[in-house]
Amino acid sequence: MAVTIYSTPTCPYCKLAKEFLDKNKVNYKNVDVSKDPKAAQEMIDKSGQMGVPVIDIGGKPIIGFDQKALKAALKDKK
Amino acid sequence: MADSYDFIIVGGGPAGYSAAVYAARFRLKTLVIARNPGGTIINTHIVENWPGEKSLSGFELMEKLKAHVGHNGVEILMDSVDDISNEKGAKGFTLKTEGGKTYRAKAILIATGSAHRRLGVPGEKELAGRGVSYCATCDAAFFRDKVVAVVGGSDSAAKEALLLTEYAKKVFIIYRKEKIRAEPINAERVDKNKKIEIISNTKVTKVNGEMKLESVTLDKAYKGSKEFPLDGLFIEIGYVPQSKLAEAHGVKLNKKGEIITGKHGCTNVDGVFAAGDVTDMGFKQAITAAAQGASAAMSAYEYIGGKKIEC
Repeated sequence: MAVTIYSTPTCPYCKLAKEFLDKNKVNYKNVDVSKDPKAAQEMIDKSGQMGVPVIDIGGKPIIGFDQKALKAALKDKK
Repeated sequence: MADSYDFIIVGGGPAGYSAAVYAARFRLKTLVIARNPGGTIINTHIVENWPGEKSLSGFELMEKLKAHVGHNGVEILMDSVDDISNEKGAKGFTLKTEGGKTYRAKAILIATGSAHRRLGVPGEKELAGRGVSYCATCDAAFFRDKVVAVVGGSDSAAKEALLLTEYAKKVFIIYRKEKIRAEPINAERVDKNKKIEIISNTKVTKVNGEMKLESVTLDKAYKGSKEFPLDGLFIEIGYVPQSKLAEAHGVKLNKKGEIITGKHGCTNVDGVFAAGDVTDMGFKQAITAAAQGASAAMSAYEYIGGKKIEC
């Protein structure tokens, strides 16, 4: 299952989300949208969101550091 | 069987973490349960008033505090306490979490902090994350060369505006009163910054946009129009104390919803202590919250030891 986190280096909830993924032993790709405007646009297209983090779990974007939604999405995909 | 502790701290901001360090050193078996480890201060871009640290991000500050808590052997559990109860006659409390765990504690500390206040105008909810943001530290980078506004006149609002000038081409501060009430050092920085313009005595009454924020409606015309085009709107109008959990257990609140707390951290309920932004302390700062946390840990220690405490 492909997991991508769209983040910025200053965003605290991105750091918490990454900690959460690490803790749950999930491999993920980190995309820094502050440095990559193309990726930022891709994130906005996918989620309609102009805020980070957005975490794409197997094609389903989860908006914000929503632990409940993350747990559910990871469970579904397992 | 529920896991038993001497002291459970609900909340992982400066108040909770400071209490944890002290409690561990009092040799209390302590657990921290935090929904958002680090608390709201992790959204603060730069903290320059924590003694001993000239300048660091709120996140860095809380990572340091977290490490200090860990160094003292206290576990920080990322979960949310849904319910506090105690059986009649029995001393101590039972805490149930959203994650389905149950814990017992002889004393508890409510350090649940506060959450961002919403503006409460039409369109705000629909456009959250689509141009409306509550965290400049998180989202500023999406507004490179854009026009944005911060609503609010607090020190936090001034700091958000200053941070946004690093990305946006123009930053407005929309404030319902005449003069912003930032720390004078930050107010001076705002005055000197050519990208920032303050629109005072003005309220935002509506947030407009289809798929994303396009404009806001003001209650007073700015340059001849109440329609005010914007790419980003950052809302920084204060905080709401997160006191519902405590209230449900009979803890008394003031009119603002803050926990009425004695000078050593006691509430009206025996064995329930409170510290930090959730309390009725006037000056809401990381350092004052940490001090309250330390003081409350001491009171809890005495309470657990059977001493009559005065606070």
